[in-house]
Amino acid sequence: MTGLTRFIQKIRRGSPAFAFGGYSFAVLYALVIIIPLYFVLISAFKNNTQIISTPLAFPPAFNFAKFIQAQASVHLFHAALISAIITVGAEALTLILAFPAAYAVARIRSRLAAFVESIFYLGFLIPGLAILMPIYMMVAKSGLLYNPIALILIYPAFNLSLSIILLSSFMRKLPHELEESAVMDGGNILQIIFYIFVPICMPGIITVLVLNFINIWNEYLFALILMDSDNRTIQLALALLRANQRTVDFGLIAAGVVFSMIPVYIVFILFQEKIMSGMLMGAVKE
Amino acid sequence: MASLEKTIPGSGKTLSNEAYHRRNAWRRRATLLLLASPALAWFLAFMLWPLGNMFYISTTKWGSINGVKQFIFLNNFSRMLHDPKIAIALQNTGTQIVAEILIIIPCAFMLGFFLSLRMRGYRILRTIYFSPAMISVAALAMIFLGMYRPDGMINTLLNSVGLSSLAFPWLGNKSTALAALTAIDVWGGIGFNSVLFFAALSNLPEELYEAAMLDGAGYWTIMWRIAFPLMLDFVAVVTTLQFLYVLSGAAQNVILLTGGGPGTATFTIGYYLYDQAFLSGRLGYSQAIGVLIFFTGIVVILLIRRLSSRFSY
Repeated sequence: MTGLTRFIQKIRRGSPAFAFGGYSFAVLYALVIIIPLYFVLISAFKNNTQIISTPLAFPPAFNFAKFIQAQASVHLFHAALISAIITVGAEALTLILAFPAAYAVARIRSRLAAFVESIFYLGFLIPGLAILMPIYMMVAKSGLLYNPIALILIYPAFNLSLSIILLSSFMRKLPHELEESAVMDGGNILQIIFYIFVPICMPGIITVLVLNFINIWNEYLFALILMDSDNRTIQLALALLRANQRTVDFGLIAAGVVFSMIPVYIVFILFQEKIMSGMLMGAVKE
Repeated sequence: MASLEKTIPGSGKTLSNEAYHRRNAWRRRATLLLLASPALAWFLAFMLWPLGNMFYISTTKWGSINGVKQFIFLNNFSRMLHDPKIAIALQNTGTQIVAEILIIIPCAFMLGFFLSLRMRGYRILRTIYFSPAMISVAALAMIFLGMYRPDGMINTLLNSVGLSSLAFPWLGNKSTALAALTAIDVWGGIGFNSVLFFAALSNLPEELYEAAMLDGAGYWTIMWRIAFPLMLDFVAVVTTLQFLYVLSGAAQNVILLTGGGPGTATFTIGYYLYDQAFLSGRLGYSQAIGVLIFFTGIVVILLIRRLSSRFSY
């Protein structure tokens, strides 16, 4: 660290201009991010006159009227329940599919492993928009239109690539003695995976679960075309808060936005480092 | 797994070394395929099969799901050449891509460099910068709706500081609507990519900066002349990701906020696909647009790879 540390010290002492410029820019951008988030958060507790006349003023009282109104208008809790069911189902399925595949490409020495892995890399090249209509057709033909099961089946396909890449890179770092000792004890490959690798890979599994949770909970486009109003996900409910009103009732929308973001931000606070490293890795591996 | 015994357990037979290894290689291959096959099947069914279907449908004239498909070979593509809306959509998407890349990359790099110096407060800044990546497209669109609308936050603030001449219906005006949608992507994109640059810059060997300092280089020079060239591979990655996002994902902002309007101001290529498939009932043509989007993506990925390998170290 010596070079970098000295470099930093020198900036602190020797170049106040650079440090000042850097901080100014960094803090300015931080404010640019925070202000809209603050704005939507406080708007959820205000009435519309307050939102329009003093948009950045702190709410005079914590008024939950807009949350109640939003619940009455688009059934936020029901939508959240649908989203939760889809998330749990798709998460479980993704993991069941991805874990053995990740083990295969990471731990079995064969030239085929690289080929199989490269097929999963293809997932990053296929734009969601391109397969939107063919998937709609497929779901319509199979009679699963407007059924949450359709999304439970489809979301794993979108999340497989990243899940397999993250899990396999985690497994590559483990020593090869793991399997050898198990083989001597007479374990077959499924036992090795289930009893040895699943417990050891828990940190990697949690990263994958957290990232997939964010992706699935936040997904909008496929839910939009595959679900109807009885089975709307939380993201569809949000958009409906606008569409259902003749004029924009921003307090109502803000309440919905805040409600929908609570689970994701809880996960973000708990698993920040895992989320960052996982997402960065996904970006770099592309 | 690879013990070196040449006796097959249970059979008592002995094989030559070579035969043993060949047999083992086949067994490994079979195990690999067996373990990967559920995931491969899923991938085939819900990614590659629909992709293949996109190509197939793009060669048909097809009005609705229950209607009759008529094979017209490449007619959709020749029609595309004379479709003025394609030109408009490509122009809007192109503008958006260029603007996002030109704004996001320099800003994200500078902020990432600043974070990588790990000065006081860099952790909290990093958390703030990353937080927009947690917001769904729907929530983001709704937040910005509250800022952009005629009596929204931005205009109220402008009025309150006496700049009412600048107050604007940002999404409702032809000259600002595309910029307003672009700004939504830029808003969070700078932050996400700055954390990406931060992680990459943290891996650089420190001697590089040290050597430059001995040569008397200023910090601004070190940032742009030393750190940035070393990041070119990374710039290529970030550019590619942003490009692909605008090409396909950004259509969601259009769906949620403007529907391509006012006029054709925010009519992008991704939205054109959505419009043809789900609003206008031209399924064949919509998939031809899908093919265009898919190949544009592939070509640009290859092009950026090519360029970055030529210029990077």
